[in-house]
Amino acid sequence: MILTILALSPIAVGALLLVLPQILPSHAGDQVRTFSRNMCMGVSLGLFAISTWAAAHSLSDLDWMAIGFGSYELENTPVDLIPYIGVSWHVGADALSLPMIWLTSLVVPISMLVEWDAKRGHLFHPLLLVMEGAMIGVFVSLDLFVFYVFWELTLIPMFFLILMWGGADRRYAAMKFFIYTFTASVIMLIGILVMYFNTGTSISDRSFDLEVILASGSTMSEGLRHIVWMLLLVGFATKMPSVPVHTWLPDAHVQAPTAGSMILAGVMLKMGAYGFLRVAVTAFPGSTVVFTPLLVALGMASLVYGAWVCMGQTNLKRMVAYSSVSHMGLIFLGIATMQPLGIAGALFMMFAHGIISPLLFAVAGAFKHHYHTLEIGSMRGIAHHSPWLSGHMMLGWMASLGLPMMAGFVAEVAVLIAFWMTFGWLVLLPALTLIITAVYYLTSMQRTIFESNDPHNGLLPETLHGEPRDITWHENAGMAILGGLTILFGILPFFFWDMMSYWSSELIDTVLVAAMESEGVKP
Amino acid sequence: MSSELAGMPTELLLPEIIMLVGLVALIIVPNLGDARFRIPLTSFRVPVLLGGSRFGIARDPRLPNWITIGTLLASLAAAQMGLLSPSDWSGEVGNALVVDEFSILLSNIFISVLFLCAIAATHRIPADPGAEAPTEDDDEESGARKTDALFDNRRQVDFHILLLTTGLGMSLMAKSTHLFMLFVCMELASLSSYVLVGFHKESVEGGEAGTKYFVVGSVASAIGIYGMSLLYLWNGDLSVSGLSDSWRSMDGLDPLATAGVGMMLVAFGFKVGAAPFHLAIPDAYSGASSIVAGMLATASKAMGFVALFKVMIIVSMPESGESFWFVAMAAISLITMTWGNLAALSSDNPKRVLAYSSVAHAGYMLAAVAAIGSGLAGPEAKALIVTAVLFHLSVLVVFKLGAFLVLSSLETEGGSHRMQGLNGLARRDPILAGSMFVFMLSLAGVPPFSGFLSKLLMINGIVTVSAGTGGASSIVSWATSVEPVFWLAVAVVLNSALSLFYYLRMGLVMFFEEPEGEGDLICNTPLRAFIIALSALSLAFGIGPGSEFLVDIAHGAAEALLP
Repeated sequence: MILTILALSPIAVGALLLVLPQILPSHAGDQVRTFSRNMCMGVSLGLFAISTWAAAHSLSDLDWMAIGFGSYELENTPVDLIPYIGVSWHVGADALSLPMIWLTSLVVPISMLVEWDAKRGHLFHPLLLVMEGAMIGVFVSLDLFVFYVFWELTLIPMFFLILMWGGADRRYAAMKFFIYTFTASVIMLIGILVMYFNTGTSISDRSFDLEVILASGSTMSEGLRHIVWMLLLVGFATKMPSVPVHTWLPDAHVQAPTAGSMILAGVMLKMGAYGFLRVAVTAFPGSTVVFTPLLVALGMASLVYGAWVCMGQTNLKRMVAYSSVSHMGLIFLGIATMQPLGIAGALFMMFAHGIISPLLFAVAGAFKHHYHTLEIGSMRGIAHHSPWLSGHMMLGWMASLGLPMMAGFVAEVAVLIAFWMTFGWLVLLPALTLIITAVYYLTSMQRTIFESNDPHNGLLPETLHGEPRDITWHENAGMAILGGLTILFGILPFFFWDMMSYWSSELIDTVLVAAMESEGVKP
Repeated sequence: MSSELAGMPTELLLPEIIMLVGLVALIIVPNLGDARFRIPLTSFRVPVLLGGSRFGIARDPRLPNWITIGTLLASLAAAQMGLLSPSDWSGEVGNALVVDEFSILLSNIFISVLFLCAIAATHRIPADPGAEAPTEDDDEESGARKTDALFDNRRQVDFHILLLTTGLGMSLMAKSTHLFMLFVCMELASLSSYVLVGFHKESVEGGEAGTKYFVVGSVASAIGIYGMSLLYLWNGDLSVSGLSDSWRSMDGLDPLATAGVGMMLVAFGFKVGAAPFHLAIPDAYSGASSIVAGMLATASKAMGFVALFKVMIIVSMPESGESFWFVAMAAISLITMTWGNLAALSSDNPKRVLAYSSVAHAGYMLAAVAAIGSGLAGPEAKALIVTAVLFHLSVLVVFKLGAFLVLSSLETEGGSHRMQGLNGLARRDPILAGSMFVFMLSLAGVPPFSGFLSKLLMINGIVTVSAGTGGASSIVSWATSVEPVFWLAVAVVLNSALSLFYYLRMGLVMFFEEPEGEGDLICNTPLRAFIIALSALSLAFGIGPGSEFLVDIAHGAAEALLP
């Protein structure tokens, strides 16, 4: 019931707030418009309270450490949606999805806060709310049909966010984003359909229920398993995104409004990794083991290429976008290790990047907002003008390059240790890439915050008229919360970390070990 | 005559009787008060030697539309009653018509299509392209006179008479159990639709469309009638049950019977828009008004499938084993869907895109019919496939016709022939653009819209037929061991993926570029309400209790059709 509320109520409220002003007479419509922003914030804060309640063991008596692999908390009794083809409303959460649900309910209100004064807020904030419901829906649904519906539904609000509030080149970016990710998810749908048709010999036997469909993976012939795994990989890797299907991301990020970028990087990218673990790895452990070298190659390519490209970027947002590609590469590397530590590190990477990257995009967005440029080097010495912004930027950049005591560090170290345990000295490549990461982050920071021709004034872009202001209170508050959480989870990663490492070792024990043995790989 | 009618449950034909009454009213009422009675569809005026000039109400250009909407609404209500309690509304009428769940569902499809067309036709058919529109300078009287000239009452009468005769023919055709009756009803509907296609005879496209559609259609019909005569020569009886019995007891393949059925396939293939008989269709759709094109893409296609079901599945299916038309049908379906999609990809005219998409959809349904012809289908799988096709035909009314209705709103400003007409529609008219987007997603088969469910049911049927084959472990040997009919399902999936691009292009173009016109589209309030309702229905029939309701009805209809 709780998960149903989490997924459906934001969609319902958001859609209502979008549609009502169109239908109501103009006077009543204007009234709806004026309170729509507060309403959205209220609903998303309520959802955050609910998800925090569900996550906190001491509050809800739900012991996330005690649930085994393949069983779920907060599960509902399935309700038939399309009984004819075996679709039901079946939701539940486990240690893989719970951190993501909590993260979604955290990032959305913060992104609303950061863009509290967005233009056309009566459309902007409800769209963010619809987005929240769709993303939570992806994480909670235990029925692949519903999963896919939510998966596609996330595209529509994001498409409009980019198209209506984006930068100068927004049309191209929105179109590219939509067609790229839509095509990929159709390929994924074909994979899901093959799995569905394999669940039975007549229509009454077939079902989209996750449990049934995952079990059907083992009844396929080996060749078919590999094909379906590949189809799923294309869908999930595009969302993540991994090199070579990452090219939509920089365009979408650069053009998207700040809140859109925050949600895109913070949560939407995680859907790819989530789906990959939930469906592809769980249903086809054998194929995952066989294609481990491919995962390593993809992860390594994303990591190295993403970092390398970052060094050449002059646009702040584009640089941050490529750094996301680079960090997502670590997730594939973590999964490829087939170690509990590595997979837990990948899961924690999803979570940590989900807190850090919204902070990075909030900072970049504030730059655009207050300095009207994103070119690195065209504004310098901003520490003098915007001390708060400089502080947040420094914190975010440090967290992203993996400074100890910050959330990103935990994940990176876990993945690298596990990688070393499995692949030995090959670990040098990702480890050295982290140096490149440090280079581009430190350079961009030094050139924007500190470097100045005139120690008293700094160099400001000519487009900026008058006295530059520091960031507004709501931007400041949003960034401060994210920054605080980055440090909190860097020092005390235990809560989500324990849950994730438990889930990872269960995944290895129940699914992957048997697959490795049958494929003749030493576990 | 009356003695023959006595004892016959004529009340089962209530929807058709209502349409007949409406037709008579439509012929008589606009002549009231006139000294000369105009023969409909002609310029002949027969003097009746009574009265002078027409009454004001009889002259009103909106009158034919009102009568037609009222008639179709009453007729639809009668048909809906049958849908809700099929057992009370079933039975045989005479020895050529039967009312059962199948014909009730089809009647509902036909009548609701025509009802929506009538709603959309309100003030939509200009009589004379040269007539001037009233301007602000006109006073009330001269403005009204100009409007009347623009929407000539006589022309309106003709259009709406044709709508009603189409409905009458289609609705009776679904009920017929005799091939002769079936053909006569189908010709009634077809001849009316030929004229409807060419209704804008003053414009070049309209005339061309009407001529092409008429010539190709009448050749196809002639071939079909010749095939039917061969069947008569073979069996001496054209009732569906008699033919079916003879077919089953036939020793080997009789050349007369085979040739007859093959020729009828040509006629029905034209009706459903199957390649290679589809060549006139894009021209017809783009030349006709969007309303008529929508009618052709939904009701006329459903009519073709009714005929295909009766002749292919009921008559010419052997007791067991593959039917002789399986390979031909499979090939036709493959060519149809691929050709339709490829042509739609390269077309820049929204009406043509929808026309080709309608060809592609015919291909998907023919693939399902071909799966029945493979002879591998048990009774359950057969029912599933027919259910899927009937469900698809039903939901086509929702989203295909919906898309054409949106285009018909564009048409009044001349923007339905170019993709640019759709540019920036979202900014001008967010509600209609949103609905159009839903229709496009539904046509493309994106879950959770009804287009996905119908496609999945069809694929489900085809896969079920080939289930249990292809067990080998390596890909190559698996591919050779699987039944060939399985590849039809693969073709449907790949074609659907291909079709996404042109549907998305049409859907997304509405959100880009500067709009060409300004302000809301010209779209009357009822039509706007129905378009919104259709977009809600394309979701409601795709997921939840609505989908269950419609699938159950389609299933009941399939059970009633299959022996």
